[in-house]
Amino acid sequence: MEDRYTRQIRLDEVGKAGQKKLTKAKVLVVGAGGLGCPALQYLAAAGVGTLGIVDFDLVTLTNLHRQIVFDQSDLGRNKALAAKEKLERLNSKININAYATSFQLSNGRELLQSYDLVLDATDNFASRYCINDFCVLLDKPMIYAALYKFQGQVAVFNYKGGATYRCLFPTPPKPDEVPNCDMTGVLGVLPGLIGVLQATEVLKIILNLKTILSGKLLCYDLLSHETRQIEIKPNRAAIAAIKEKNSPKEELQLDCEDSLQIDLFSVKDQSNIVWVDVREKGELPRIRLKNQIHLPQSKWQKEWELLKNEETKIVFCQSGQRSKKATALFRRKGIYNCYSLNVGATTLQTWNQKVKK
Amino acid sequence: MEIKMRYFGLLVETLQKEEEIITTQAKSIGDLKNELLKRYPSLENKTFVIAQQNSIKAEEEKLLEQEVALFPPFSGG
Repeated sequence: MEDRYTRQIRLDEVGKAGQKKLTKAKVLVVGAGGLGCPALQYLAAAGVGTLGIVDFDLVTLTNLHRQIVFDQSDLGRNKALAAKEKLERLNSKININAYATSFQLSNGRELLQSYDLVLDATDNFASRYCINDFCVLLDKPMIYAALYKFQGQVAVFNYKGGATYRCLFPTPPKPDEVPNCDMTGVLGVLPGLIGVLQATEVLKIILNLKTILSGKLLCYDLLSHETRQIEIKPNRAAIAAIKEKNSPKEELQLDCEDSLQIDLFSVKDQSNIVWVDVREKGELPRIRLKNQIHLPQSKWQKEWELLKNEETKIVFCQSGQRSKKATALFRRKGIYNCYSLNVGATTLQTWNQKVKK
Repeated sequence: MEIKMRYFGLLVETLQKEEEIITTQAKSIGDLKNELLKRYPSLENKTFVIAQQNSIKAEEEKLLEQEVALFPPFSGG
């Protein structure tokens, strides 16, 4: 019988038994961005039975040149939820779980424990070290990749007791030492290639194919097409330290201004949005928005818990500066679904009057 | 001895070059690292690993008369 997997089942190395392994496999993808999107598409297409997608962020116009699961109609939507919907259209026979949150100390164990392995498609060190440490504690392989301009790194960590990310880089770089794609720029094809390499390693692990990229860092250069595989030795002491502590070593979330901000013109549907005015009482212009709360600076520390809910919060002020400060503070308190508006109150008012018409 | 150096990621911007040949008296990887930090003060605050013969080397390991590559961590995704 012809089915969608016929062409891969035809490979002796896969066969019906391999396809069954894929169906039974559970893969958690953290980050539905440049790396996550192509990886998710191939994993869903190959019939990986359960996919988990973790992402707190919203789709913006600047994502679309590389985050190819999304299209213009997704602008302003949560990435995990939007990706789930798209991938279900590609393959309705698999289970897809969307988690509209970030992978962190407080939820990492719960998110990861029901999956066989995790694909790290994050764009920050705090999440990456957190994933690494939970992988060591829960004994799961971590399929890592990261990018810088025209170069990419790929590796499989913690595979059958192999080297971990901390064996390569024991501690994170200092804040602002290493910029991410939002700041340096990236050609969309690079995360495309590297994300597909990550998906490849996932399939090889599930199908038990040789040779897993464990204990090696694959370095790829898009411009020269030079690739290198650098051997990484396991650091037994570093691995033992994580196990002994029995919880990940907390690394500071490096604030990335670009991921804090939201572009006003990407806001299409206001039904799930709470507007947070962080100006002082009496600051003009006064803006009448649906679903608005007022939280001046004196109340940030005391009343931030008002923001603990499922709705997306957009924080604004007179110019966009105070709102950035407030948003960074709310994020540190664990409110991840809040964003700082990229423009000030006057522009917001003009926009609001147009939208109302 | 003369050694070919290769720089990756943001180290290319930090040092304004992708590769170079340096003359060094260093006996170990750690010696070479110290020489580089003296030569390039901007490397002081950077995180990177040093590889030779396609393997990441500890500071106490012997420096061979072969290409050395410096890899920083990447962040983007």
